[in-house]
Amino acid sequence: MKTSAARRLVGPALGVLVFVAVTGIWQLWAGAEDSFLVPTASEVAKRAWDVWPTSDFLSEVGQSMKRYAAGFAIAAAIGIALGLLVGASHAARRTLDPFLECLRAVPAIAIVPAAILILGLGDASRIAVIAFGLCFPILVNTAEGVRGIPLEVRDTASMLHVGRVERASRIYLPAALPSIMAGLRIAVSLGLVLVIVSEFVGEQNGIGYYLIIQQSKFDYPALYAGILFLGLLGYLLNRLFLLVERRVLAWHYRAAGE
Amino acid sequence: MSEPVLRVSCLEKRYSDVGPAAIADVTFDVFGGELLAVVGRSGGGKTTLLRLLCGLTPPTTGSVHLDGRLVSSPPREAAIVFQDYSRSLFPWLNVGSNVMFPLRREREPHSEKHARVEAVLAEVGLEGVGKKYPWQLSGGMQQRVAIARALVSRPEILLLDEPFASVDALTRAELQDLVLRLHELQEHGVTILHVTHDIDEAVYLADRVLVLSGTPGRIVASVDVGLPRPRKQTETRSSSRFLALRNELHGLIAAPEPVQSTPASR
Repeated sequence: MKTSAARRLVGPALGVLVFVAVTGIWQLWAGAEDSFLVPTASEVAKRAWDVWPTSDFLSEVGQSMKRYAAGFAIAAAIGIALGLLVGASHAARRTLDPFLECLRAVPAIAIVPAAILILGLGDASRIAVIAFGLCFPILVNTAEGVRGIPLEVRDTASMLHVGRVERASRIYLPAALPSIMAGLRIAVSLGLVLVIVSEFVGEQNGIGYYLIIQQSKFDYPALYAGILFLGLLGYLLNRLFLLVERRVLAWHYRAAGE
Repeated sequence: MSEPVLRVSCLEKRYSDVGPAAIADVTFDVFGGELLAVVGRSGGGKTTLLRLLCGLTPPTTGSVHLDGRLVSSPPREAAIVFQDYSRSLFPWLNVGSNVMFPLRREREPHSEKHARVEAVLAEVGLEGVGKKYPWQLSGGMQQRVAIARALVSRPEILLLDEPFASVDALTRAELQDLVLRLHELQEHGVTILHVTHDIDEAVYLADRVLVLSGTPGRIVASVDVGLPRPRKQTETRSSSRFLALRNELHGLIAAPEPVQSTPASR
């Protein structure tokens, strides 16, 4: 009993230890370096403490999150719909696969200049980049999930005269949901990357813009405070998604005996 | 005898142009109220036959008629129970919703549908589990749910594809008796076609046993069981006629020459 309780404490304790050690090394190294290019951990922490609660900073965060949410929603709608189609129909797969495979190979960042050209320097071009990049992991995982549905489920649907639309929404969608959620989870992290990168070019607000501005203003502690915030934000978004997933897929996890 | 419920004529299924067909020259009738078993080896074309009967796969040649109408897609009058209950039930729906699913388009009040679901669950011995999820039930209970879902729309014929092959022996015996009970129900006893590799099970349940054997699979014998009903696990299985029938069927499956009449059949 004692050993298992001890073991349960060792894991988290090690985690804290590594965190403290890395921060300590950073503090000592930056202190020894004594260059304004590398602020110490305590400087960054202090700046973060000052900057994070300001309405200016929070409004940048709000702008980024608005684009992130819009891009994510559009990508989820298109990715799941196309994924269901491509996964369920051989004809659709044969027709769309060459096109989708080519499009998928394009790094989403590469379309930033083109998106700005077509959609201008506003929200629309940033949202388009995010939606484009997030669409594919969702699409591919959805299609994979539909293809993995057991024959018995398909046969049962046929025996119960489930039509095409009803089959997609009431059979394939829930049956492929574990795989769809895996795709959405990839999109949660990737979306943060894309929103920041898309704000690096010709943007007036957002966290990406904030980072660029701090760099050009030589406010390096604020730059690192922004980066630190993104780390925290990414972590929280992931935890939030896991919470949602546990709820939505409760039947799946319990059926699998977890 | 009356018109058959299911009429199968000269059915053949080929999956490829080379090699033998999966089944060939399969002809038989199933009559209303009959409990017919088809026995054969695993991989002998049993599942192919069943998929052809319920219109899930088109035949290469031959035809299936249900109530005199040609079967070209899954007919409303037929329901099927698959071997793998863990895959055929919808894990995201609870038991009640699984059983209610076939009624989704029927135009009766929800309360009436609900009552039908409760009634059919009671019929298969599952009162009060409607709110549970399939994974909260044992394998045998899950298969009862699958049977309830098949019965809820009151099909004319119930097709069972090795339904008890994935449960333990005691549960299997209980489920066999459930099938007998459903078949013998006074008001709406259902016609059943039961496909199995288990010779004892076929003899214990059926009025008549067809032997599917050879490559391609053909019906090599039709054996009338003629054991008295109601049947009892211990009594029926220890009767001399039961033993004679199972020995005869073992012989038929082992040596698949076409046999027209057999000593044990009447």
